[in-house]
Amino acid sequence: MGKKVAIIASNGGLFDAYKVFNIATAAAATDQEVAIFFTFEGLNLIHKEANKQLPMPEGKEHFAEGFAKANVPAIPELLAMAQEMGVKLIGCQMTMDVMGLEKEAFVDGIEVGGAVTFLEFAKDADVTLTF
Amino acid sequence: MDNIKSNVTLNAQGLACPMPIVKTKKAMTQLEGGQVLEVQATDKGSKADLKAWAESTGHQYLGTVEEGDILKHYLRKSSDEEKAEKKHPNVIDNDELQLKMTSNEDMIILDVREEAEYAFDHIPNAISIPLGELEDRMNELKKEDEIYVVCRTGSRSDFAAQKLTANGFTKVINVLPGMSNWSGEMSSQIR
Repeated sequence: MGKKVAIIASNGGLFDAYKVFNIATAAAATDQEVAIFFTFEGLNLIHKEANKQLPMPEGKEHFAEGFAKANVPAIPELLAMAQEMGVKLIGCQMTMDVMGLEKEAFVDGIEVGGAVTFLEFAKDADVTLTF
Repeated sequence: MDNIKSNVTLNAQGLACPMPIVKTKKAMTQLEGGQVLEVQATDKGSKADLKAWAESTGHQYLGTVEEGDILKHYLRKSSDEEKAEKKHPNVIDNDELQLKMTSNEDMIILDVREEAEYAFDHIPNAISIPLGELEDRMNELKKEDEIYVVCRTGSRSDFAAQKLTANGFTKVINVLPGMSNWSGEMSSQIR
């Protein structure tokens, strides 16, 4: 208990989203403090529209059926759950500037910050993951 | 076997990881310390997940029953019982009890844990009366019998021993620490 998990999400595909949010929600459910830093394509995962239709990796389109069959939650649902459980979401300011995106394009409740904001959280994290 | 008794049942059937864990976490916060949660899941990974989850959050994983495709997991919410001071003066440790069991046939072993805990593992021939039911079911025991009271850590059994003594039972012995450290024979009601 009282452990910290720091995650960097820098890829924007469907598989990436599941990896990030499954680990994050599981950690939060285990009473760990979790922060995710979304940078570059990782911003797709918290983009209001983009996160509803994240792409399957090329050549893996046939997994769509498996996803439906396994009844895995949709990404927006997992994201909402993560927020409900107190996972801190940090959007990368620099990437947003480069891509010309405003905070309003993203789901409510995210923070916007630079690398230092994340590093401040991650400096004493027990687990650090990059996706 | 009959259904194992639980205070709350959570239906997590059809849900994929990490939902069973997330739902379990939510359900557990609604329970009181010492209560038992039954989680019904179909996700095959849920057994290992819930066990690990219980370990890291300090709750007690009791066990899993498989019924067809459904996995029924039983968890008991942590409580402060381990820290409670033990007051019943007459005690015996696990090893001594084990020795006594081989020679003394008239002794009664009373298990005051929850039914779900008892179902997964208990001392053979132990009588199950959960602490919460002891008041009402005391008449199932004889006042002059030698009764060895056991729980998981020796705390609930301490309460039970005090309660029995206050009600005129004369030979009540609390077993320390109890099932958490039991190395002797065990029975189970689970297939």
